[in-house]
This record gives sequence, C-alpha cells and structure tokens, in this order.
Amino acid sequence: MSSQNENQEVRSPVRFKAFGWLMQRITGVGLLLFLGLHFWLQHMPNGFLATAEEYNSILRELGSTGQEFADAIAEGALKEALPGEHVITYSKVLERLQTPLWKMIDVMLLFLALSHGMLGVSRSLGDYMHNERLRKIAVAAGWTVSVLLAWQGTMAVMSVGMN
Amino acid sequence: MQENIERSGQSRNRPSFRTFLFTASSYRKLAGMSAWLLHRFTGLALVAYLVLHIMGLRSLADPAAFEIYVTTYRNPLFKIAEAILLGSVAFHAFNGVRIMIQDAFYRSERQRQLFYGVLVLTFVVTLVGGLSIIFPYFIAPMLP
Ligand code: HEM
Ligand code: HEM
Repeated sequence: MSSQNENQEVRSPVRFKAFGWLMQRITGVGLLLFLGLHFWLQHMPNGFLATAEEYNSILRELGSTGQEFADAIAEGALKEALPGEHVITYSKVLERLQTPLWKMIDVMLLFLALSHGMLGVSRSLGDYMHNERLRKIAVAAGWTVSVLLAWQGTMAVMSVGMN
Repeated sequence: MQENIERSGQSRNRPSFRTFLFTASSYRKLAGMSAWLLHRFTGLALVAYLVLHIMGLRSLADPAAFEIYVTTYRNPLFKIAEAILLGSVAFHAFNGVRIMIQDAFYRSERQRQLFYGVLVLTFVVTLVGGLSIIFPYFIAPMLP
C-alpha cells in the first residue's frame, strides 16, 4: 500500500503541486481582505450605496431623462427601493470607480478570486478524474477560461467612466 | 475502530464515493470529513457564482443595462440566495483560516474545537449579515 503511494507521488509533478498549495494559501489570505471589503461595500449601509430616498430620486430623474429607463420602469425591470433598503446603483459605482485605487482594488479581487478558484478546481479535478490525459485537458481548458474571464473582468472595470 | 482507521487510511489517496462511505463510517473522521466536504462544495459553488458574476458585470458598459442587472438581484428570492451566498463565503473563509492554522502549527488535537469555532463564527456572521440583507424585504413589513 505504501509503495503504491510513493509511486503516485513520483509520477505527479510534486514541486508544481507544492507551489499551487502555497499560492492557494497566499491568495486565500488576500481574498479574506478583499472579499471582506467587497461584502462590506456591496451590502452594508455605507456611503457607497444609495439610501432608499436617494435611490428613488435617482430613479425619478433617470425615468424623466431617458426613454430606455422610462421603459424599464414601466416594465418593472427597475423598481423603487423599499424603506431602509440600501441599493447598488450605477452613479454610485461610477463615483467610486473614478478613483484609480478603487479600480485596482476591484482588479486585485478579480485576479485573486480567479487564481484561487481555478487552483481549487484543478485540485478537485485531480481528485476525481483518474484519467491523466483527460484531466490535463480539463485543467488546461479551465485556465483558458480563467484568462478570458480575467480579461473580460479587467476590461469591464477599467472602462467604467472612460468614454 | 482500528479496522475503520485502517480502511479509511487505505483509500485516502483516491477520493470517491466508496472512500466517502469508508470515511463516514469512522466516527473520529466525521467532523473532519464534513469540514472537508463543505469546504470543497462551497469553494466550487463560489467559482460558479464568480463566473456568472463576471459575465453579469459586462453590463457595466451600459448604465441602463447595469441598473436592470442589479435590480434583478433585488428580487426577494435573490435576497435569500444572497444570504446563502454569504453563509458559503463565511464558512469557506473561516474554515480556510482553520486549515491554514492547523497546517502551520500541527495542532491536530485541537481540530474539533477549531472546527466548532468555525461553525460558531459562520453562524454569527451569516445571521447578522443575512438578517441585514433580508431586513427590508421580510422583516420590516412584519413590524407594526
Ligand atoms: C451577492 C453578493 C455580491 C454583490 C451584490 C456584488 C456586487 C458587485 C458589483 C456591483 C461589482 C461592480 C464593481 C464595483 O462595484 O466595484 C462587483 C465586482 C466584483 N465582484 Fe462582486 N458582488 C457580490 C459577491 C461577490 C463574490 C462572492 C465574489 C467572489 C467570488 C465577487 C467578486 C467580484 C469581483 C472579482 C469583481 C470585479 C469584477 C470585474 O472586474 O469585472 N463578488 N461585485
Ligand atoms: C474568503 C477568503 C478565502 C479563504 C481564506 C480561502 C481559503 C482556502 C484554503 C486555505 C484552501 C485550501 C484548502 C486545502 O488545502 O484543503 C481553499 C480551497 C479552495 N477555495 Fe478558497 N478561500 C477563500 C475564498 C475562496 C473563493 C472566493 C473561492 C471561489 C472563487 C474559493 C474557492 C476554493 C476552491 C474551489 C478550493 C478547493 C477546494 C478543495 O481542494 O477541496 N475560495 N480555500
């Protein structure tokens, strides 16, 4: 039994795995910080969200300026805030993302989450897919998707307020 | 007991449904097992959410589309999903810290206490954060 274990370890790229293990911890600690901040930012009552009163007046203004908004309100795709609700809204996001530091924070979160998540996915795949070739293909596909998502996400955040 | 330990040790390197049954049949490993399973499950769920999230945020390019996107998340059902998401993040984060502490200090005899600590912290954060998320939707309307 133990000789079987040793064989398995010799076959697998041990150092690469150890690097992944370390990176998972480093990105994990980073995420603790950035995801904690993200949660506070997007959910807790703070100046980066609109209060119910603010949001309802933003909504009235949007409805009177653009046909697209007026239609969305009529269809119920945009709706008034409930009392006490704190709402994510474009003008507030724009206000914050006008500061380069906030953009960097979002991009850091993006990279940390993607690399940490993908390291975890490839480890899980390693546990369940015993066919080496198939697994390598799956992991490569995963990283390719991650790179595309990283590009997509960076573009989305960086281009806010740039036009 | 001895037999259980040997059996679960034997198959440790190959997680599978069979391994799961062997490990779950060993009492001593049950806490560690559920911690591990939950950690993996929440991690993979978060990856799925992250992909949807990034695709959804393409709407940042168009103010009206973004406004509609965030409004879909203000549906009462989504608010409950949001609280569940918070619970998953909280468990994964606290349990991740536990794993790192344990790896760093080899305090395996403390595993059980640390895991209960993780559960308590997760419960408190999910309760406080979750209540504040659903408050305007479910709690405020019930108040006199
Ligand atoms: C339901 C809970 C969440 C809400 C309402 C939310 C909301 C948002 C919003 C509005 C943005 C736009 C940028 C900004 O405001 O700065 C954003 C960006 C981002 N969020 Fe979340 N978020 C949530 C949960 C999460 C979770 C759990 C993760 C990690 C897995 C995450 C990862 C990110 C990343 C990486 C970005 C940057 C995206 C990009 O670069 O395109 N978010 N989030
Ligand atoms: C909030 C802070 C976070 C911390 C402290 C953290 C910590 C960790 C740690 C230490 C591990 C390694 C577990 C092990 O070695 O057995 C891990 C695994 C993992 N994490 Fe995270 N993580 C965090 C957030 C996230 C997020 C946002 C995602 C999703 C995008 C995620 C997805 C995963 C996945 C898929 C695994 C692999 C699970 C496995 O191998 O069983 N984590 N996390």
